[in-house]
Amino acid sequence: MAGQNKEGAESMKRYKIMVIEDDSVIQGELQTLLNGNGYTTIGVKSFSAVTEQIKDEKPHLILLDIKLPGENGFALCSKIRTFSEVPIIFVTSCNTDMDELNSIMLGGDAFITKPYNSAILLAKIASLLKKAYPAQQREQIVYGDAVLHLESSSLDYNGQSVELTKNELKILYYLFKNGGKICSRGDMIEYLWDNQLYVDDNALSVNINRIREKLASIGLTDFIKTKHRQGYTI
Amino acid sequence: MNSKRYWKNRLPFLLTNLVCMATLTVFLLVCGNSVSAVVLILIVWALVLLTGLVLTYWKRKRQMKKLLDMAKQLSERYLIPEVMELPEQAEDQVYYQLLKMAGKSMLEQIGAVERERLEYKEYIEQWIHEIKTPITAMKLLCENHRTDWTKELLLELEKTNRFTEQALYYARSEHTEKDYSVREMALSQLVHQAIADNKYLLLQSGMRLEVEEMHDTVYSDEKWVRFILNQLIANAVKYRTEQPVLRISTLKRQDQVVLVVEDNGIGIAVSDLPRIFEKGFTGQNGRLIQQSTGIGLYLCKRLCEKLGIGITAESSEHGTAISLSFHINCLIHEVQS
Repeated sequence: MAGQNKEGAESMKRYKIMVIEDDSVIQGELQTLLNGNGYTTIGVKSFSAVTEQIKDEKPHLILLDIKLPGENGFALCSKIRTFSEVPIIFVTSCNTDMDELNSIMLGGDAFITKPYNSAILLAKIASLLKKAYPAQQREQIVYGDAVLHLESSSLDYNGQSVELTKNELKILYYLFKNGGKICSRGDMIEYLWDNQLYVDDNALSVNINRIREKLASIGLTDFIKTKHRQGYTI
Repeated sequence: MNSKRYWKNRLPFLLTNLVCMATLTVFLLVCGNSVSAVVLILIVWALVLLTGLVLTYWKRKRQMKKLLDMAKQLSERYLIPEVMELPEQAEDQVYYQLLKMAGKSMLEQIGAVERERLEYKEYIEQWIHEIKTPITAMKLLCENHRTDWTKELLLELEKTNRFTEQALYYARSEHTEKDYSVREMALSQLVHQAIADNKYLLLQSGMRLEVEEMHDTVYSDEKWVRFILNQLIANAVKYRTEQPVLRISTLKRQDQVVLVVEDNGIGIAVSDLPRIFEKGFTGQNGRLIQQSTGIGLYLCKRLCEKLGIGITAESSEHGTAISLSFHINCLIHEVQS
């Protein structure tokens, strides 16, 4: 599961996402992906009573395929809109503009075409949840005595604070998220790329060294450990 | 109408007349008519014959010219039997009938071929949509169960997806005008999206990326421009040298925003440069690198023409720069501000 954007895991409460998708492999894997990123998921098994299921489960967000057995995604979307304002993301393989237009007209919030980039899908989910349910985000993350502040891009330790650059923040965030686990350099670079920071292998080493210097300046030494031939861990 | 041939065709008729004239002369002389009377009769005959022939020739010539002109003006010339009048002459009517028959069977053939092609096109489009479901499933499976080789598999999936997209756009490109949705889009978002589409390709090739900060927005169709960028990125990887660098930046030029995709690859030979947007053209680089198909840039050019984006290429042995220039519509900005 390493290498994924884990923006969603910041929330205190676990958001519930409903996956309406007729391909069972994709449904299963989407659920694995979302679960691994801190969401609870509901997979729809029977497509005859989807609306009832939505009313019962009250998900925070719905991933909706357009091509479904029986009623298609558009019809379902307009039905959902009669009783709920839950954010809906259309996930489809038909990328014609008519479909895109339809999805917006019928009250969909986003439109993602298959095969989607999971980082982009997760980012879209996170941003829609943030918009729909504001002020539920946790802005800091703790590991040991160190506190990483996401909004102000800084790290606190023993009452001392140090400013971080965008690259450094994302690297530390990834290490914090996987606290204790070994993170391979490749996975870290991939994670940074998913966040639009295009660092290469050398730049990663440089960044890690800079973070170590910064942490040492506030008395936090040996925080990031190098695992030979495997990667880094905290 | 070939006049020489026309007169040649009239020879039997003329000869018949001559024989008749000779016979009549002999007959009249034997009957005891004076030579002058016979000459007069012959002159009158010849005059009437000549006038008749010239008039018929002139009329025919005019008729034929009219038909030829009519055919020339038609955009679909095979439709000529539908627009021409029924000719007076009996033989002409036969030809007219033949033309009609030929035209009809041709139209039937064209109709059948068109129907077949449309069906095939629809099938291809549908197939591409269907193949995307297993591609998505494979991608998710790889990402959820990472092992040593999933990265390589993801790279292959990226490739598979790029080829499928190419096929889809090729199938659709003649009807792009029906498939437009022009809207405002941020260039930065577009570039990041295109990089994300090719993440594994770029990572695996060791490409260093330099993406400038971009604040411009342009009006165009997002998915087509993304398709173009994907092709350009794939090219930069395909024709890379050691320690490859890909630089993506923007610059403003009068009323245009220019998106520049620059690499430090093997470059394009000066003699090849004017032809790189031609279909199937691979040039010297094509002989070096086997995966050259000569389709990528051709599709880019065609799409750019339809979208009103300028595309130009510059190259040296130190790399290639492709510029996409988007027009900024002053009016839109004025209205908005």
